[in-house]
Amino acid sequence: MPIRETFWNIPHWAEIAQYVLALLTALVFIYGVGHRVLRWRKGLPEKRSGHFWARIWSLVTQVLAQRRTLDEAYPGLMHFTIFWGMLVLAIGTALATVDWDVTNLFFGFQFLTGWVYILFELTLDVLGLLVVVGLGMAIYRRYVTRPARLQKFPTLENVSYAARDDAYVLLMLAFITLSGYLTEGLRIAVTQPDWAAWSPVGSAISAAFLALGDPANQTLHLIVWAIHILSAFVILASLPFTKLFHIFSTPLNIYFRSLEPAGALQAPRSEGGVKEWKQFTWKQLLDFEACTRCGRCQDVCPAYASGHEFSPRDVMIKLEMHLWEKPNGRALHGDVVSAAELWSCTTCRACSQVCPAFIDHVGSFVDMRRYLVVEGTVDNQLQKALANLGRYGNSFGQSERMRAKWTQGLQPAIKDARKEPVEYLWFVGDYASYNQTLIDVTRKTAQVFQRAGLNFGILYDAERNSGNDVRRVGEEGLYEMLAEKNLQALSRCKYETIVTTDPHTYNTLKNEYAWNGNRPRILHYTELLDELISSGQLKFSKKLDARVTYHDPCYLGRYNGVYDAPRRILHAAGCELVEVPRHGDRAFCCGAGGGRIWMEEKPGRERPSEMRVREAVALDGVTTFVVACPKDVTMFRDAVKTTGSESRIQVKDLIELVYEAM
Amino acid sequence: MMNIVVLAKLVPDLVEELTIDASGAALDLTFARWIINELFDDHAIEQGILLKERSGGTVTVIAPDLEGADDVLFTAAAKGADRLIKVRSDFSAANNHAVARAFSAIIKGFQPDLILTGVQAHNDLDGSAGPLLAESLGLPYVGYVSGVALADGKFMVKKEYPGGLIAEMEVTLPAVFGIQAAEQPPRYVAVSKVRQAMKTSSIEEMDASDLDLSGAPEIERMFQPEAAAHAEMLEGTPEEVSAKLVALFKELGVL
Ligand code: SF4
Ligand code: SF4
Repeated sequence: MPIRETFWNIPHWAEIAQYVLALLTALVFIYGVGHRVLRWRKGLPEKRSGHFWARIWSLVTQVLAQRRTLDEAYPGLMHFTIFWGMLVLAIGTALATVDWDVTNLFFGFQFLTGWVYILFELTLDVLGLLVVVGLGMAIYRRYVTRPARLQKFPTLENVSYAARDDAYVLLMLAFITLSGYLTEGLRIAVTQPDWAAWSPVGSAISAAFLALGDPANQTLHLIVWAIHILSAFVILASLPFTKLFHIFSTPLNIYFRSLEPAGALQAPRSEGGVKEWKQFTWKQLLDFEACTRCGRCQDVCPAYASGHEFSPRDVMIKLEMHLWEKPNGRALHGDVVSAAELWSCTTCRACSQVCPAFIDHVGSFVDMRRYLVVEGTVDNQLQKALANLGRYGNSFGQSERMRAKWTQGLQPAIKDARKEPVEYLWFVGDYASYNQTLIDVTRKTAQVFQRAGLNFGILYDAERNSGNDVRRVGEEGLYEMLAEKNLQALSRCKYETIVTTDPHTYNTLKNEYAWNGNRPRILHYTELLDELISSGQLKFSKKLDARVTYHDPCYLGRYNGVYDAPRRILHAAGCELVEVPRHGDRAFCCGAGGGRIWMEEKPGRERPSEMRVREAVALDGVTTFVVACPKDVTMFRDAVKTTGSESRIQVKDLIELVYEAM
Repeated sequence: MMNIVVLAKLVPDLVEELTIDASGAALDLTFARWIINELFDDHAIEQGILLKERSGGTVTVIAPDLEGADDVLFTAAAKGADRLIKVRSDFSAANNHAVARAFSAIIKGFQPDLILTGVQAHNDLDGSAGPLLAESLGLPYVGYVSGVALADGKFMVKKEYPGGLIAEMEVTLPAVFGIQAAEQPPRYVAVSKVRQAMKTSSIEEMDASDLDLSGAPEIERMFQPEAAAHAEMLEGTPEEVSAKLVALFKELGVL
């Protein structure tokens, strides 16, 4: 009967030695894991419990099924094969251990016998091959095709620990898999069991050794076995100290990920922002340790693409290295992460959207920016904008009394929501109110609302910048001040729904304002128009017949999941939509978010907005670039000029098309 | 330990439209928003703080009791000012002579080593506030200063001249300085720090003696710029326009 002959050809002393080694390995492993866990516990508290089943479900989809990892074919498949291959081999080893050291030792029976054993052999034998394929793909990719995102890791004293660590892991995994196969092959070569055919790979290898004959093969088997076992223990012992630790840290990070809306930034947990790493929360520290340096975030990052000395991948790697530095005087700010890096981020969240480890980059960046703001490390333009926001409630440095100047001459006059009840309270926002080039669009918005018969009003002088980007700059105090003023003004009005022009405003009103359980319905104007169209309240009188493309604003799409409403409006207005390659949750940021629009521009290769315009211009027959965010209008109109694309494409707000089609 | 006093002048915010009052000889300041004189007095505060950070000492910031003064003072405290003084009087209508006399009486009491103030303000374009203050304190005055330093017991200031020339001079303290620019642009203070300062520091209020308005010129009329002449547009084809232009030049005697 087929049966697993554990410790075949292994002398008793070697068997004992193996148990001793196993014990040692376990001790090192436990020490290492403890070391890591204690480090996380040095972080500040953060609540991440609750939603147990939702969290378990994340583990199923994202760890077992590797959903996000599989978003990219080559690296996805590569990782999937290694992951499942290794997992099955590990389970197999565990079963074998139980079979021998538990059931056999204590109860005198083995379950790996007969057909169970044959199935066991077959599975392990074949799935081991998956690992070999995956590892081959990984080695080929990392050392032959060498994509940019796996190159140029940050160093510490000129040593690239990351590159070393990556090489170690691949080498060890390859070594353990191949030595495992060799052991198996040699065993089959000597014992030649009847069921050898069920181990196809092992049998194939055994064929190569048959000629050597028994005694030689037995000795060789013992040697290879010893090497195999040793390398297995080395891997296990080194696991908590190397990249392999992501086997634990990444699933943990996925389990503990935030299930709050993506647009709800956490208030500072340490007063004055994060100055040193211990002021991060344990979850943020876990973030850094869960990073596998896969570089996907870098590939989608607009700041990196425009040539800034910045990559979200690098910041994660540097933070992780910093956690483990002995006290050596290197400061988090300046030595580890520079202010320029922190100011580069547009908070577009493209990184977190693709990160297979579900890391929240923006949260940590903003926490560090908060420190920079309290220290006063802001550039002149940003300082001016913040001062204006503090004094006038808008970044333009214009009097709040001028906020509704754009309404002058509109007939009928727009209702003052402070004076009479309205159904829709329109939160206009800074750019739409003050920017001269946008006033035309804003007036058209008002006219569309009027023609649709909406009962709406605005806050006039009482409106302030919503603070969404002020908060992301890291100026929490100013954000609170602005939010308080807006909430105060809103609390004095009677309305049912708030509708916003700006996706940034939309985000913070919807996800961050302290409504104390009385949050009204909050819509972006595209959502409102979509509703009005489907209810028949808004009708188009003509079809536009235009070939257009649409840019998903970060704070509407990725942050709030509004992808379909604008597309349905375009369709209803008779436009033919041709998607840019990067659309939906992969949309490429215009570069203005997170307060970047207020900052001095640093020289780079090309602005994100310009890259985006080129992407649109390359589409066949598309002449209109449709946006749904006032900042986008200014950013892209500018980029159309600087790229000399005026004759090819024009930038329009969605509302302009609606206005034309009415 | 240097005892530094900064006189922080407030000015009406030009973001709001300026109107002339009923008398026709002064601004209507009923709705004015008073803010720190950003171009210069904000630099004077910054320079005071920088000096304190570098050489030690205390910084006392004094401001007239106008709406907006608390904001200016607490912001200064958030930057590092030690003492905040608000001087009560009817400053909105006061001239520089009156202001200088009123503040000198109070500043004298502090026995300062140096007094910093903005070199100019948009409502004090000839920059007389500083010199008048120095005069009334009987102290030397240096204006257009863009840097101060205490080195080896000597007090050195940098003064800017037109054309990019810079002079360094040694000044015997106490003295009054009109600050043109601090060595660094005024720093940003986070709102949370200002809020913190509101909790931890307090503003002392002092009364100025009755304002003595004498010595200042009397304003007869204040008005918005009036268009004296208007431009004449030459219209027509390029040929016609050039013909008209030539005729015009001849008429003016330049051809
Ligand atoms: S949020 Fe956007 S800009 Fe910031 S690091 Fe991520 S991808 Fe880059
Ligand atoms: S942060 Fe995420 S996406 Fe970026 S390198 Fe690390 S694991 Fe990859």
